[in-house]
Order: sequence, then C-alpha cells, then structure tokens
Amino acid sequence: MRLSLRSRFDGRSGGRNLALLVGVLAVAPLVLAVLGLDYYTIVLTQALILGILALSGDLAWGSTGIFTLGQAVFFGIGAYAVGELAKHLGVTDVLAASVIGLGVGAFAGVLVGLFLFVGSRVGELYVGLVTLALAFAAERFATGWDVIGAYNGVPGIPGPTLGPLVLEYGPTTYYTIFALFVLVLYGAYQLNKSQFGLVMRAVRDDGERAEFLGYRRTTVQIVVFSITSALAGMAGGLYALSSGFVSPSFLGVTLSTQVLLWVVLGGRGTLVGPLLGLGLVYVLGGRIAEFQPQLWPVILGLILLGTILYLPGGLIGRRVVPLRKRVAVTTAAAPTGGGDRV
Amino acid sequence: MSEAVTSAASAAPVLVARDIRKVFGALVALDGAEVSVAKGEIVGLIGPNGSGKSTLLHVISGRTPATGGTVTLGGRDVTRAKPSDRIRAGLSIKFQLARVYLDQTVADNLLLAIQSQAPLVSLMLSRSRAAAASTIDELLEGFHLTHARSQLARELSHGEQQWLEIAMAMALKPTVLLLDEPTAGMSREERLATGERIRAARERCGVLIVEHDLDFIRGLCDRISVLHQGKIIASGTPAQIEADPRVQEVYLTRV
Repeated sequence: MRLSLRSRFDGRSGGRNLALLVGVLAVAPLVLAVLGLDYYTIVLTQALILGILALSGDLAWGSTGIFTLGQAVFFGIGAYAVGELAKHLGVTDVLAASVIGLGVGAFAGVLVGLFLFVGSRVGELYVGLVTLALAFAAERFATGWDVIGAYNGVPGIPGPTLGPLVLEYGPTTYYTIFALFVLVLYGAYQLNKSQFGLVMRAVRDDGERAEFLGYRRTTVQIVVFSITSALAGMAGGLYALSSGFVSPSFLGVTLSTQVLLWVVLGGRGTLVGPLLGLGLVYVLGGRIAEFQPQLWPVILGLILLGTILYLPGGLIGRRVVPLRKRVAVTTAAAPTGGGDRV
Repeated sequence: MSEAVTSAASAAPVLVARDIRKVFGALVALDGAEVSVAKGEIVGLIGPNGSGKSTLLHVISGRTPATGGTVTLGGRDVTRAKPSDRIRAGLSIKFQLARVYLDQTVADNLLLAIQSQAPLVSLMLSRSRAAAASTIDELLEGFHLTHARSQLARELSHGEQQWLEIAMAMALKPTVLLLDEPTAGMSREERLATGERIRAARERCGVLIVEHDLDFIRGLCDRISVLHQGKIIASGTPAQIEADPRVQEVYLTRV
C-alpha cells in the first residue's frame, strides 16, 4: 500500500515560480504599507518562518516519500531550545537562533531517523504511525514537564536581535527573516536540482529499486530526515523569537498535520506549492478561523479531501499526460531490432 | 561458440550459489539448488512454472533471505548481505517486469544507475550531469534509445522499457548480470536485438538468464541448467540439455 499522492513535478521545473514568489515577497511589506495594512507584515513574517517548516515537510515527504507526521516535533524542540536560551541567557540573535535550531533539530533528527529507518523495512505507514505517536507523546510530555513551563510553555521571550541591532516588529524583522527564508529556499531548490535530488525521488518512487541500483536507501532517508529536522528546528527557533512565546502545541500533532496539508494542497515535491498551500491555509485560514473557529477545521478537511480527489498533484502539480498522447508516443517509437539471427 | 565455452570454463566463477535451500512454511521452494557463472559465460536457467527459478534469483539478489546455502560473488560471501551491498560487490539485476522510474526521463534513469555508487555528498554538490553525459550517450545508442533521451520513461513502449532496464543494469558495470526474462513481452525483432546486446555484454561479465523461452536461450547460452522442484536436475550445453531424457520428461512444454 502506498500512501503517496504522486506528483510528477520535480525540482528542475519550479525555478521560475520560485523566483516569482520571492519577488512578490520582497515587495509585499511596501505594498502592505501603502495599503495601510502594516499589521499583515507581522503575519507575513510568521508565515515566512512557517514557510521554512513547509519546505522541510516538502523535502521529506514531497521529494523523498518520508511520510512524517511529526515534523512539528523538531520545530518544537528548536523553539524550546531557543526560547529557554533567549529567556535565561539572552541569546536573541536571529543567526545564533538559526544555528541553535539547526543544531538541536539535526541532533534529534539523526536519533529519530536512526530509530525509524535502520533495520525496519515496514514502509511509509510505519513511519507515519511512529512519527504521529512521537508528536502526540512530545506534546503530552511538554505539557507535563515543569522545567520547561509545563502547560504554560515559555512566555515572555525577548524579541529578536541581529548583532547589536534590536529588530523592531514590522519591516526590519520581516526582511531579516526574509533573507534567511530565501537562503533556505535556495538551498532546498539546489538540493532538489542536484543529483542527490534525483536519488531522493528514486527512493520515493521505488525505494527497493534504488537499492537494486546500489543505493543505500536507509542512509539516504536518514540524511534527508536529518536535514529536514534541522530546518524544522531552525524554523522553530525563529518562531520562538518572533512570537515571544513557546507552547506545547508547537510540538504537537495539529501543527504536524498542518505541514502535510500545506504540502498536499500545494503539490508534493514542488517547493513553491507547499508555500502557496501554507499561504492559503495560514493567511486566509487565519481570517476565517477568527470569525468561524468551529467551522474552520471542517473547511480544512473538505479542502484536503477535495485536493486528494480532484487535484492529486496539488495546486502546482502537473496534470497527468492524456492517454491519447501516450499511445501516440508509444506506437511512433516502435523499435527496429538488429537483423542477425540468434 | 565452443571456444567461448572452453575459455569460460577455465575462468574462476564470478557467481556461485551453492546448496541453496528456501522454505516457505511447509513449502520447499529450493532444495539444494546450485548455479555458477564464470566471466564471459552466459548461463541459462530454465524450468517449468513453480520450479523455483524466481526464488533462486531472489535469493541470489538478496531480495529473499535463503534458508540455507551460500552465495558468493567474486569469492566474497554475500549470503547475508543487503541488496545494495551485493550490487556494490558487482551484481546487477534486470527485473522480470521492467522497474524503471516512469516519472523520470530516460537519461535520468541511466544517470541514477551510473552514479549509484558515488558518495552522497558529491551527488549533493555536483549539479552538472555533464560528467556522465558520454556514458549516457553510449548506452542510449547501444540500446536504440537515443531518440528518447529526454522523454519520460513512461512514454516508452514496453520493449523499450525493458531495454532501458537492461541498459541500467549494464550501466552498473557489473561482474555478474542477472536477467529475469529479458524478452518478456517483446516482438521478434526486439528479441533478436536483445540477444545481440546480451552477447555484447558477456565481454565484460558473466550473465545468468532466467527464461521461459527455450528458443531464445538455445542459441545464446553456453550452458543451461534445468531446475525442477527446487533442484537442478540437469546442466550442460544446450544440445546436451535438449537430448537429456530427464529434461524432456519435466520440460516438454515449449513456450
């Protein structure tokens, strides 16, 4: 059984879309200022940070087929680490927070990755269930542990700085985060485009086949899982600084499944798709959730169902090649063999 | 042909599967089966349906663990090795049903095979596919796939997908090539061309072919082994095999 919604899109085709998105995001605060919607610059800053989480989810599930339902665990670990360090030791530098988030995320990712992939060949469903359980357990654990604030999490985290600069909410913070976001996006794009990206898709589409080509599937999965956990941790660290608090829900199932939702909605393995998915769910959804908090989960569910049924490639994914074209190609390419008798 | 047999027989075997047993519950699929292939040799493995051909191939490739017996590749015991480690030890396999990456281009399928043993870090850093381009060109030309270079593999005909898979298997530069029904579903012309490709491959490696089609391997193989109820009941030149009364008894049905 495969849980994958396969998208035929790969890293090579998305460059123009990504450039367009980066261009729009670069001018967004100016446009918002002109329209008198300055508040949305702060919303957009949070969205950019969650964008890093979306990209990590897309690299894991979209490009490599690691069906992780626990991406938020690493986000939360990064958030708690940075939150506590900022509060008690005054580590509020966004670059330091990024490095700390990457570090603790990667460390946790390697541990969980080793547990998930070494020796087990049970497939996507197993990975999904174990990571789901992990997310559930992590949230429960954080809720009960006094040292990290238990139910209250970590409130009152000082705001972000960059070197000697205190970053004001608004455009200053936005553009600092934007720079980091673009860096991650560029890295993810290059990774997809590299030959390793090809290997990731090979492991996703038929992992056993990849092994019979000589690839060590387990190693590829652990490497990708660690990279994406590191990115999730980085996103968590930045989120802790920019929102000023950390709560146990940062580690949990709800945020984890949201990551999958962004990826499914936008289109697996496309990078730009999951970012659009995030934009729709977070920015638009945020408005709906304010007015209709009970209705919003239902709407989310319907969106997810509709996407799976009618847009299996997501908003950005390529459409399936029409059958007629496939047949035409097949018959036109009938090979002519050598003439020798065997 | 006779020189090939002599030279092959004198070379050290690159693949030896000895005394292989495989038991599924109460079913004994393989009961002391053995097969060996030397460099430059093409060995056929035939047998009626259910004789254990596929199981033996799976045991050799590492897809299924053996209940007993040993598999050695170039003198190295790989009985317990993972598939990827067997591939790295020189084994290469073409599956019965072509398992190419349908959603990748033909060239990328070959690239995946060519670079499978490169360090992961170098794969992350090198984006240029240029280094492998000439190897890809050669393979494409050899398998009449040049026109399909940048097509998705799913757009190929059935026979072409089989060829792509054989090309991928060859791209690994194996010392032992396992071919599971390489001509399944092919037209007569495609079969003839496939035979040529396999003949060309033997210069560099030993080939083990599992086939249904006796006509196809009769002219191709130096030796043929006949598997019946999990045991090799006869082994010899194609002529010897065809004259063997035991073989005729169990394997009269020609496909």
